Amino acid sequence: MNFDLSDEQQVISDLAAQIFSGQSTVERVIEVESGDGFDRTLWNELAKAGLLGLCLPEEHSGLNMNMVELALVLEQQGKTVASVPLWSTSIGSMAVAEYGSKDVRSSLLPAVVEGKNVVALALANYGANDVMNPSVTATDTDGGVKLSGGKPAVSFAQHASHVLVSAKRADDSIVLALVDLKAPGVTITPVEASNRQPTANIEFDVTVPATHIVAGLEGNGREALRWVHEHALVGLCALQLGISQGAIGIMSDHVKTRTQFNKPLSAQQAVAVRAADQFVTTEAIRVTTLNAAWRMSEGFDARQDVLVAMYWATEGGHSIVIACQHLHGGIGADISYPVHRYFLWGIQISTELGGASQHLSRLGKLIASR
Amino acid sequence: MSMHIGDSPEEAAFRAEVRAWLSQHAAPRSDDGGNWHDDLHAHSIACKKWQRVLFNNGWAGISWPKQFGGRGGSHLQESIFNEEQAKFETHTGLFAVSLGMVGPTLMAHGTPEQQEVFLPKMLSGEHVWCQLFSEPNAGSDLANVATRAIEDGDDFIVNGQKVWTSMGQFADYGILLTRTEPDAPKHKGITYFIVDMKTPGIEVRPLVQMTGVAHFNEVFLTDVRIPKANIVGGLHGGWAVANTTLTSERGFIGGGSSSWSVDELIDFARERGLDKDPVVRGKLAECYARAQTLTYLGYRLRTAASNRTMPGPEMFVMKLAYAQHWSRTMDVAMEIAGAHGMISGDAAGDAMHWQHNLLGQFAIRLGGGTNEVQQNIIGERGLGLPREPSVDRDQPWRSLAKG
Ligand SMILES: Cc1cc2nc3c(=O)[nH]c(=O)nc-3n(C[C@H](O)[C@H](O)[C@H](O)COP(=O)(O)OP(=O)(O)OC[C@H]3O[C@@H](n4cnc5c(N)ncnc54)[C@H](O)[C@@H]3O)c2cc1C
Repeated sequence: MNFDLSDEQQVISDLAAQIFSGQSTVERVIEVESGDGFDRTLWNELAKAGLLGLCLPEEHSGLNMNMVELALVLEQQGKTVASVPLWSTSIGSMAVAEYGSKDVRSSLLPAVVEGKNVVALALANYGANDVMNPSVTATDTDGGVKLSGGKPAVSFAQHASHVLVSAKRADDSIVLALVDLKAPGVTITPVEASNRQPTANIEFDVTVPATHIVAGLEGNGREALRWVHEHALVGLCALQLGISQGAIGIMSDHVKTRTQFNKPLSAQQAVAVRAADQFVTTEAIRVTTLNAAWRMSEGFDARQDVLVAMYWATEGGHSIVIACQHLHGGIGADISYPVHRYFLWGIQISTELGGASQHLSRLGKLIASR
Repeated sequence: MSMHIGDSPEEAAFRAEVRAWLSQHAAPRSDDGGNWHDDLHAHSIACKKWQRVLFNNGWAGISWPKQFGGRGGSHLQESIFNEEQAKFETHTGLFAVSLGMVGPTLMAHGTPEQQEVFLPKMLSGEHVWCQLFSEPNAGSDLANVATRAIEDGDDFIVNGQKVWTSMGQFADYGILLTRTEPDAPKHKGITYFIVDMKTPGIEVRPLVQMTGVAHFNEVFLTDVRIPKANIVGGLHGGWAVANTTLTSERGFIGGGSSSWSVDELIDFARERGLDKDPVVRGKLAECYARAQTLTYLGYRLRTAASNRTMPGPEMFVMKLAYAQHWSRTMDVAMEIAGAHGMISGDAAGDAMHWQHNLLGQFAIRLGGGTNEVQQNIIGERGLGLPREPSVDRDQPWRSLAKG
């Protein structure tokens, strides 16, 4: 048994911490927010450090690492609410590396590593947002698959070069396609996301060539979607871990320094106890996320582990950001104060790929029907 | 009188009368949560219009004495009216401070002149009021207010800063807490003023909130002249008056609102195809149980208000339970919203108002005293726990370290 990070993992984590905290300062986040929402300077730094190819195969100039290392990097992003499409690009490109044809891998991946290609993930759906039941329909045509329908709230769609989209055939089988966002028949409508990240709804009326059908031509679509879904969920957990730490960091500084009744807020037991609870929940997110990421990296069945982590990241993460906001009183309620960004990201991550109820429902089914 | 949880025949008749009148003068509420207003200016105009309609038809200030332009009815009738009104598309928020807080305060502590000048114009909607209590260093510790008022002939001259002043940008008058005797202990050197917001030296600067709306403001006061006739409750007597205002505020935040229904939430789940999900059902049931509790707490509070004069701990329980219910309901709503929960603004469709309510919850859990402040008071008054020993109650305010 050893739950410590390896030396190599520690190096990755430290490197990511250095880049994110060095680049994505509060001032920089505000500057990016008032621009187009994509911190390209930071993106280029991440590329230079090799972090955009962290989990990609060496043959495509990647570092060949896995989910634990990616989680460590996403955690650092969350801490600084940095506005870069790292989650979607990493998970999307990993899926292409895992399931894609040689053609699509070599056309997409090297440019991802260099920071030139950005991948968006269109996994969420209209309605009940059941990732395994895509709202875009797929119809086989000569030499490809025609996609029609829409996907809501796709993060960074307006800045991405490609989108990995899940779709469903009439027979309920599933297709994962890599779509060029410049292709005719792809309509991108920017919307305002809760966390103020660049986000758009996408409408598809486009035929994707067989080379760019990442999975689903050989009956492996459902398995591939499950793979992407689980990796995406663990990525969200890691981001939420960072968000939670960022939020409790700002909160604890605040309650130590703000005085009411002639003493610091933290001298009120009600405040100190509440603050401590948030720390406990953050640790729950941490251990469950690392466990899920590790099991996935090792190729073990991680379905339950992912859902446990996701339960903490959604229910727990949501309650952490609410508590941190609440403990700021009125000061946190106007947007010139930075804590609200963590609140907004926290609630966004809690709904991104289904809320706590959905994860609990699925977990309940898995554990009780054994 | 024996217990009866529900309308008496007279109350039922009153409710029917109210409903009939409302259905002639307002549209039924659409189920998209008409209580959210992006465009505050339009909202303020709609509020004024509706208040005028109420006033002209004798429905303004139902529990207020006739001499002030009220209806001379009971608190219970007023609650019934509010319950029914909430089922219609009506705008009322702009007058929350004047009718919910300032009116009751002036009726209890105002001079006859103040009552005569100000109360009728609150009811007619002519005057909008704001609450100038909180300061950067006086939030939960409200008695720490530092805005200075210094006597000068027939006036006081006021300097200082207020913050988080809701709807201050629309207000004609404010209720203002100031420090008039720095050498007295902090609760004993406070004076409560009525201030005309058009007085030179008052600057209102909106603060934008997460909802994207600037609902509250910073208010800077520089050499603002206020006549002595505008003091409420006597020189240095402001703390008791402020407490009346805060009690009314808790009452209206917790109690004055709608009937407690989770029907909209259940419909929302049904539209998303989630109403059969057992976990979602469990959460809906929890919200329902909380809503039912609020209904009964509200009944108890009303009974208390009609039978006794001093509200007991029920009011604090109500305010706390309301804040908890609101927060929990919005959590569940966001889960139900699915991907639309990630979008704000019009593109979110029917999920929009739930998200705004989620973001807006801090007004409820912080305003009128935070949840923890309510809990402290419940501990003291509900359970008789000793008040937390404090170092600062008896020392001169001036000698205390400033936060
Ligand atoms: C949307 C909104 C609208 C508002 N509108 C108005 C208005 O119109 N007019 C006005 O005057 N004010 C208004 N306020 C201010 C409001 O009354 C204060 O925010 C509130 O009293 C809390 O004070 P604070 O913000 O300074 O928080 P603080 O007092 O700094 O509290 C911070 C945290 O510490 C906790 N805490 C503080 N003291 C204790 C204690 N003794 N025991 C346990 N926990 C404690 C609090 O519960 C809170 O979680 C508004 C606030 C908001 C958010």
